[in-house]
Formats: sequence, C-alpha cells, structure tokens
Amino acid sequence: MNIKEYISSGVIEAYVLGLATEEEASILQCIRKNNSEVEQAILDAQLILEDFSTAQAVAPPVELKDAIWSQLNQQPVDTTTDSSFGFDENEKEAKVVPMTKKTTDWKKLAIAASVLFVASFGTTIYFQNKSKENQTELNALVAENKATAQSLDQLKEKWSLLQNPDLKTITLAGVEQHPDLKAHVFWNTKTSEVYLSSENLPKVPDGMQYQLWAIVDGTPVDAGVFDLTDSEGISKMLKIEKAQAFAITLEKAGGNPTPTLTQLYVMGNI
Amino acid sequence: MSPIHFIEEETLITLLKNKDQRAFNYLYDNYSGALYGLALRIVKSKEYTDEVIQNVFVKIWNNANSYNADKGKLYTWIINITRNTAIDYMRSKGVQNELKNQSLPNFVDVDNKEKHNFTILESVDHIGFKNVLNELKSEWKQLIEMAYFEGYTQQEIAVKLDIPLGTVKTRTRNALIELKEILKEYK
Repeated sequence: MNIKEYISSGVIEAYVLGLATEEEASILQCIRKNNSEVEQAILDAQLILEDFSTAQAVAPPVELKDAIWSQLNQQPVDTTTDSSFGFDENEKEAKVVPMTKKTTDWKKLAIAASVLFVASFGTTIYFQNKSKENQTELNALVAENKATAQSLDQLKEKWSLLQNPDLKTITLAGVEQHPDLKAHVFWNTKTSEVYLSSENLPKVPDGMQYQLWAIVDGTPVDAGVFDLTDSEGISKMLKIEKAQAFAITLEKAGGNPTPTLTQLYVMGNI
Repeated sequence: MSPIHFIEEETLITLLKNKDQRAFNYLYDNYSGALYGLALRIVKSKEYTDEVIQNVFVKIWNNANSYNADKGKLYTWIINITRNTAIDYMRSKGVQNELKNQSLPNFVDVDNKEKHNFTILESVDHIGFKNVLNELKSEWKQLIEMAYFEGYTQQEIAVKLDIPLGTVKTRTRNALIELKEILKEYK
C-alpha cells in the first residue's frame, strides 16, 4: 500500500473520530512522525471536527461558568499531582498532626513522627509498586512495538519486492487432495531470484519440510526447502533461471533429490 | 487580571499548566459553547450536559500536563475530552436512568430503545439547535451520529448496518469530506 492509498483507506478518519483500533492507532502514530503527508491529513481531519463543534455551538447556562470556576478553586492547590493518584489521604494525615499544639508534648511529637514515618513509608512503597507496574507496562509496550515494527518491516519488504517490474507472481493452487491451499512464488526473471510466501500451507509433522520445485522442461529441479513463515513473511529460495511451473511437495527434513509426487500440495504454471 | 481577547496557543498552554484563572476564562469564553453543543448532542439532556461540562473542565484543569501538542491542537484535545466524558457518562449513569424510565417491554426490546434515542435527538433539533448533519446524505448522517455521538466502534457499526467493515471506513471518510464542504458555509 502506498501513502496515498493509506491516507484514503479511511484509517485517519477512524483515528480522529476515536474509532481506530489500538494497533491501527500505533501504526499511524509511527507513520505520522516520518511522513508529512500523513501528518497533514491528520491535522486536516482534526480541523473538520473542530469546525464541526464550532458550527454546532450551544450557549451554556450563564451561571455555569462561575459554578465551574468555584469548583476548580476548591481543588487541592497541589500542582504537581493528579488527584486520581490516590495518596491524598496519607498527606492529610501527615500535615495535621505535628502543628496543632504549641507546648512541646514529646509523646505527641513521637506519635506524629511515627505517623509521618508510616505515611512516608507507605508513600514510598506505593511509588515503588507504581514504578514496578510502569516498568512492566513499558516492557510490554516495547515488546508490542517491536512486534509491530517487525511485521511492518516484513510488509515493506514484500511490498518493495512486488513493485519490481521484473518480478513475476505465480499463484500455486492446491491440487485435488488439498483444494483450499495456496502459496505464492515471486520470481525475478532477470536476476533468477525466487521468493516464496507460504500463505495458508498447513503445519508439517516433525522431521518433515516443504520443498519447492521448479519444473524445467518437464523435469523437477530443487528450489530449496523452507519452513512456514507467518502470513506477512517471505522466504528466499534457490535461484532458478528457467521454469515453466513451480510446485511444492512435503519431503523429509532437508529435502529430497526428486519430489515425492504423492505428497504434492500446490502447483502453478507460469 | 484584565480580560484577554487573544492568546497564542503556547502562552495559553503555559497559563493552563500553571492553573492561571486567565487560562480558564479564555478557554471558557472561547470554547464552552462548542463543547456544550457537543456534549448536549451526546447526552441529550441539558441537566446532564451541565454536569458533563463541569467534569470536562476539571479534567482539563487537572490533566493539562498530559496535553501533548504533537498529537493535535489544544482545541482538538478538549473536544476529545468532552466527547469521551459525555460518552462515558451516558454509558454509566445516563443509559441506566433511561432504562429505568422505560416500561418493562421496552426495556428488553433493543430496537425500541434505539427509536427512543432517535426521538430525543430529533426533539433536540426541534428546539432550535441547528444540526449541520441534516445537510448530509442520510446514510452519512447516520454513520457520523453512530460513530461520533453514540460511540459505536466501526466493527459494531458494520454489524448493525449490515455492511462490510471496509465500506464503513470509506463511507466515514466520504462523510467527513462532505462535512468539510458543508462547514465552509458556516465560517
């Protein structure tokens, strides 16, 4: 998919409407940083929604402004923390105890000190836990990001391969026993390079491997064995200079010099 | 503190992060109408809207530090806060109240509940609030209403309207492009 197609796919509109899936949104976040066209398309779409809200404005009741301001003013003055952090109670406890009496009452001070200690100890534990949580979350996000980047790279690789004009795409369709299977061979007729996308081929039993064959003037020529890749990935196979068809059979691990024709899975003519 | 009629966005954000009353005044004077109109279309009752807008300003006030200018303008940020707050409000309190007020047969009849929703929305229109979406093709209007005001996911919309997910995406895009044209007349 090129950038124009990506922009017109509707994913940007879904994103600004808050409807994109997490995966779509994280890919978009990544692309917008590196592509000014996408960035501009997002800003344009956001502007539509801004204008939409402006055009549909309804005047709020007059008294609402003062009501809201007095509510904002009643909030704790603390500017660094969000009230939803949930450690306000500890703080209140800590603040009231030591200052109330002027006469030095060591017992009370001692209590106050221990309350303070417990409160600060509690807060420390709280933050330690919080920071552990954050670290775990961060690790998960990093892993997710890596996975996304990896599948994006695979897609990019496949895409740039497909754009090569010298590349022939041959669809290998399932034979009689396996009508639903398919695979794709991408064959560069100039450089003789052969790539394979295993699409929906089933898992193989232990000790077995798929083997790709080029049919050259009626004779099967080994084009290499391969393991299944995920749907986005491609495998590089052996070079083939000349062929009239490609086929895939199931063979013992490492491959065979000649194909086991009873284990023919998919085949396609050029 | 003298009133300010125009502030650069950057200055406004700094004032907001410092919890300066001028930031509140500026935001309220310039945007409360738009936010109120948006929330009203989601929660469909003025009483609820007052409460939602209060919550919105509390959130803007407390979360100013998490605003990220890389993701969009301040106006977009506060619009998103408003929309999310209003939809959450409907999901928790609003929807429950609505269900309580309904007679039992309606309570179990999902289709009926939907009609009920639409009548209220229609009546909001009738009290004289302009609905820009009326100028859109009905299928586009329905789509924006479901997606933007009712908070359905695209997957849910596809199922409800019985159209493919891809169609929902392209139709949403077309609806927004058309909306952009219509909005030019409102400027």
